[in-house]
Amino acid sequence: MAHLKREDWYDLTRTTNWTPKYVSEEELFPEEMSGGRGIPMEAWETYDEPYKVTYPEYVTTQREKDSGAYSVKAALERDAFVDRADPGWVSTMIAHYGAIALAEYLAVTAEGRMARFAKAPGNRNMAVFGMMDENRHCQLQLFFPHANTQRSRQWDWAHKAYHSNDWAAIAARSFFDDVTATRDAVAVSIMLTFAFETGFTNMQFLGLAADAAEAGDHTFASLISSIQTDESRHAQQGGPSLKILIENGKKEEAQALVDAAIWRAWKLFSVLSGPILDYYTPLEARKQSFKEFMLEWIVAQFERQLLDMGLDKPWYWDEFIRALDETHHGMHLGVWYWRPTVWWNPAAGVTPEEREWLEEKYPGWNDTWGQCWDVIVDNLLNGKPELTGPETLPLVCNMSQLPIVGTPGNGWNVKDYQYEYEGRLYHFGSEPDRWCFQQDPERYKKHMSLIDRFLAGEIQPADLAGALIYMGLEPGEIGDDAHNYEWLEAYKQKVDSAA
Amino acid sequence: MSEQQPEPLKPLKTWSHLAGNRRRPSEYEIVSTNLHYHTNNPDNPWELDPDIKMSKWYRKYRNESPLQYENWDKFRDPEQLIYRTYNILQDGQETYVNSLFDQFDKRGHDQMLDDNWISQLLRFYTPGRYLFHTLQLGSAYIAQMAPASTITNCATYQTADSLRWLTHTAYRTRELANAYPDAGFAEKEREIWENDPAWQGFRELMEKALVAWDWAEAFVAINLVAKPAIEEAVLVQFGNTARDNNDTLLGLLTQAQMRDAERHRRWSSVLVAMALENEGNKEVIQGWINKWVPLADAAIDAFCSELGEDPSTAKSATNDFHDSLRLS
Repeated sequence: MAHLKREDWYDLTRTTNWTPKYVSEEELFPEEMSGGRGIPMEAWETYDEPYKVTYPEYVTTQREKDSGAYSVKAALERDAFVDRADPGWVSTMIAHYGAIALAEYLAVTAEGRMARFAKAPGNRNMAVFGMMDENRHCQLQLFFPHANTQRSRQWDWAHKAYHSNDWAAIAARSFFDDVTATRDAVAVSIMLTFAFETGFTNMQFLGLAADAAEAGDHTFASLISSIQTDESRHAQQGGPSLKILIENGKKEEAQALVDAAIWRAWKLFSVLSGPILDYYTPLEARKQSFKEFMLEWIVAQFERQLLDMGLDKPWYWDEFIRALDETHHGMHLGVWYWRPTVWWNPAAGVTPEEREWLEEKYPGWNDTWGQCWDVIVDNLLNGKPELTGPETLPLVCNMSQLPIVGTPGNGWNVKDYQYEYEGRLYHFGSEPDRWCFQQDPERYKKHMSLIDRFLAGEIQPADLAGALIYMGLEPGEIGDDAHNYEWLEAYKQKVDSAA
Repeated sequence: MSEQQPEPLKPLKTWSHLAGNRRRPSEYEIVSTNLHYHTNNPDNPWELDPDIKMSKWYRKYRNESPLQYENWDKFRDPEQLIYRTYNILQDGQETYVNSLFDQFDKRGHDQMLDDNWISQLLRFYTPGRYLFHTLQLGSAYIAQMAPASTITNCATYQTADSLRWLTHTAYRTRELANAYPDAGFAEKEREIWENDPAWQGFRELMEKALVAWDWAEAFVAINLVAKPAIEEAVLVQFGNTARDNNDTLLGLLTQAQMRDAERHRRWSSVLVAMALENEGNKEVIQGWINKWVPLADAAIDAFCSELGEDPSTAKSATNDFHDSLRLS
């Protein structure tokens, strides 16, 4: 007899539910941690993970993957790509690591929630590999940037960002805390793995990997595409949970979890991936626009998965598709304008050639966003840089924790969506953000946004300098224009030739 | 704008939080330390309403544990295991175990076992996958509740190791079922786990340990009490019994699994030693050990006596481990 085939014995590894005797089932799987939603244990035992892997297969595959990623890093280290890379690309890496590394670590806790509390035995086993994967992703995305700490203090933020009160860190924590570590096992499987990982990590990891390869950053490209191979496996934990919820009459509840997670993920990615893909990445390295990536990965592929699963498109889908032309441009403008408040150097990305590209990808850009950048360019050319930077803080959304943005210029539509709850007035950047709050006000009602803290006197002195101290940003870390304003040359020449 | 700023911070050779140390950090320290940002603000661990259920859970069962230490992030895994090295280590171990499975299979090992031993395997070995699964659950709980990432990492790898033991058992169960289709393998394990007196002690111990929600009590109950008891009875003692019954394969397998168990005990011991630096923690840990040991001893008694073996060997090995923690 030869070695047994996996399918001959795999089911035994997940036939592990038993009837507890010395404690009750409710004690062993508390509702607040398990989220069984009244669906009987037998139904959860029908959970069938589409991607099956065993322990020996896992350690072999992962050893090989790591061997690949680490040897690319070692081989290319002397090449010192970072030192000759476009500063916009360096900003991409610094922003990415800060926003992602410790979020990956939080996902160990979320996977651990499923590994301990899922009533579905298959989910519990897959989540063990999920815990391991997220452990890997955090470690890789700390080890790689660590090699650059000697280059600039901003690289320290790969580790530091989530420990800080920087507004971008608050926004990232607000999203990841909400859909991962503070949810029950079933909600984690839906919000983190199905809604977020199936769609959005493809965006950040495959989209960025494509651009990285074009930009010549093969270390980063191989790193994040290796990570994505794990994501695409453990992201499949949510599908079987959804199936069980829908079969047991909980479609509405499942849909609400999916809708909230997708919207919240979208908002965070509009400030993270949007500026990176459409503004920071050097023009010649851009494979697709952010909107094109979103249309491919979220709208086309993910929408189909939703429908295949028996769910509906989120109720805000039209608004979401409309916002693909808008939100991230506003976020980018905001990040660049408030550049001292971030740990990376935002690239403006608005040279005449880049504006042509933007106009082609987003018709009407010059009439709207372009008008704002015209003013910035004029001020810089006229020696008034102080008019291109902040004196105070913007109004932020009580859900996304991000600035409330809309289309400026000829398409002006900026709006504060307000909601009063138990005597407190909340501000939201959109109708879906307000809807997320209304779904479960108890989750959010006493949270203080950065602006709430500012107004409550928690940030002293109550000015931009005080805010920077509060955010943990010191000179050497605070952001400035990635290209040191060299991109203005093209405009100077224009002015000169006109004169 | 930066020209207005005085004295920019200079780049460092490592993370700022490690920069104060005299020596260069190891790869382990670079990728493993201070990663739980949600311990920074104990009153409100998450960027949400401070009173959501999960905040209360973490405040009560992590932050307000009777076991207190000023800086849990000081903990270091004595073996400095990281993800990359874990897979190298365990891929090697799995290659060994799989080669055992294949070599013994080629020799017709299962066909040569005697009938009495076959019925013992059904009673005392293959139901163990449920027990190993409880260790998997308990380790995953410690991982998500531990107050330092360096502790979470050890518990994460321990979770995977527990799944490893379960996986070995599942594989062997199928082989035995193939060799003895009418013996009840791959069919009767749940019933035996739930009803056979040999398992009820461990079942009670683990069901109760799995609802010890305080993170440190869970660590004591599982890592210091239940795991050593399980390992000494179900791996060491049963492995010896297997060898006495010409089941060399099982003896070698449990020996291989003990390598994991020994590693778990090493990090657990270091964590206890660190906690003991704080006055008062000795009594807390000893109190929990006193609370859980009677259940563990009863479990060893039930398993070993049903097996027809003297339980004192396993009990004294467990005691030796407790003594090594220098609590008294």
